[in-house]
Amino acid sequence: MLRTTLPCLSALLLLLGVLAGCSPRSDSGPPPLRVGMELSTPPFEMSDATGKPDGVSVRMAEAMAQKLGRPLQIEVMAFKGLETALKTGKIDVILSSMTDTPKRRESLDFSDTYCRVGLALLVPKDSNVQSVTDLNQPGRKIVARLGTTAVDYVKSTIPQAEIVLQDQTAACLLEITQRKADAFIYDQLSILKMHLSQPESTRALLAPLEAGPWAMAVAKGNPEFLAQINAFLKEFRAAGGFDKLADQYLKAEKAALAAQGVPFIME
Amino acid sequence: MTSPPKMLWSVVLGGLVLLALALGCWQVLAALRYHWNWPGIWEYRELMGRGWLLTIGISAAALVGTVVLGLLLAIGQQVREPVLRTVCRMIVEIIRGTPLLTQLLLGYYVVASAFHLNDKITAGIVLLVVFESAYMAEILRGGVASIERGQWDAAKALGLSRWQTWRWIILPQALRRVLPGMAGQSASLVKDSSLLSVIGVMEFAKQTDVAVSTASVSLEGYIPMAIGYLALTLPLSYLARRLERRWRIL
Repeated sequence: MLRTTLPCLSALLLLLGVLAGCSPRSDSGPPPLRVGMELSTPPFEMSDATGKPDGVSVRMAEAMAQKLGRPLQIEVMAFKGLETALKTGKIDVILSSMTDTPKRRESLDFSDTYCRVGLALLVPKDSNVQSVTDLNQPGRKIVARLGTTAVDYVKSTIPQAEIVLQDQTAACLLEITQRKADAFIYDQLSILKMHLSQPESTRALLAPLEAGPWAMAVAKGNPEFLAQINAFLKEFRAAGGFDKLADQYLKAEKAALAAQGVPFIME
Repeated sequence: MTSPPKMLWSVVLGGLVLLALALGCWQVLAALRYHWNWPGIWEYRELMGRGWLLTIGISAAALVGTVVLGLLLAIGQQVREPVLRTVCRMIVEIIRGTPLLTQLLLGYYVVASAFHLNDKITAGIVLLVVFESAYMAEILRGGVASIERGQWDAAKALGLSRWQTWRWIILPQALRRVLPGMAGQSASLVKDSSLLSVIGVMEFAKQTDVAVSTASVSLEGYIPMAIGYLALTLPLSYLARRLERRWRIL
């Protein structure tokens, strides 16, 4: 037994040492701006092939850190963990395609809106659903992702339909491609992207059902920090920063929204 | 040991079963109207690979810790000292009775912060060890309880101390009996490690998630994920079976 135990224990110690060495150490100087996000809303928060965070929000965070004169530290985690991390001071701000809602305002403070992304519908290609009114009847099944504003929307606006909750967008998509559900309600951009990935089996109805204001969230009781963020947003917009990002990351989306006569999200 | 022809036969049989399974899966998937995009996920192989390696590291460290702490908690519930016994019992019951998600959120953002332990990976491993060892302790305790009273008496008659009895009589027999259960719990541990993403540990399942949403694919990411986890849990089962054979009573 001892013969195998000792190498195991030393391997554990070595591993712990290596893992501990990986963690970022803060240097002296201005405190880092710790921005929390989940990398699952391309092209806002996504990852490049090597795991480096990329997307509109990352470029925004970089510009904001520069404006505040603080080094940027992006903290990647599951969306579920973001609020706890913010409230316990592990991160300074959430920039993760988060919708500013009255409910969230009870426990967090939000910056000015930087983007308006409404909810849209993804339906099976051969479905006869043309708008949300077609869905408000018994027997209809609507998929929504847990913890998103779509859940509240379905409950308040489409009460007749049955709601199916899923934790993963991929599972929501499967519900539609396999025609297990009648519609998936999510933000316009994700719906468009999913439709483009499964063009043979899905259809996207992009007219916004309910405009979702996206904003950055900070812990309650930081008025100066919030003012700094809002000042940054104002300046960034005036300098054409958002237009540049739209051209860089959202060209296809802009065109697709225009094709259905829907206004662009960052205007 | 198994004789070579017999081993060859089992390998061939295993291969055939796998082939049949793969064919079956292929049939089912082909019937799906699903637009496959394998190049999409292939672009993110490095990302998923890194998550996989991190999951291996976390699981290996947590597994060693779980066996050690589980053993301590199991023995702690058997000692004569009433305070220690009750404390161990309570720890096991509380940990086993609460969700891992709660333990991770409270454990990392509240408890670990209080101890100035800010490294997510280390904290995650510790929390995973604590959670899994409660189950491991019960598996081990079951094994110890299955050893007949006579073994204890015989050890006493031979003049063995309590420590010697544990070390040479009880644990070797109990460990052999609980190996299958331990292997199952180890596989659970590997998969439970995927919950560490709520405290920002970007392990295999979460990196798969990131790759899946960034590449805008779904099954193309989750099928490799299943294979990746199998590649970790199958060797554990194999190891357990080998140990079972090695520790067999003649």
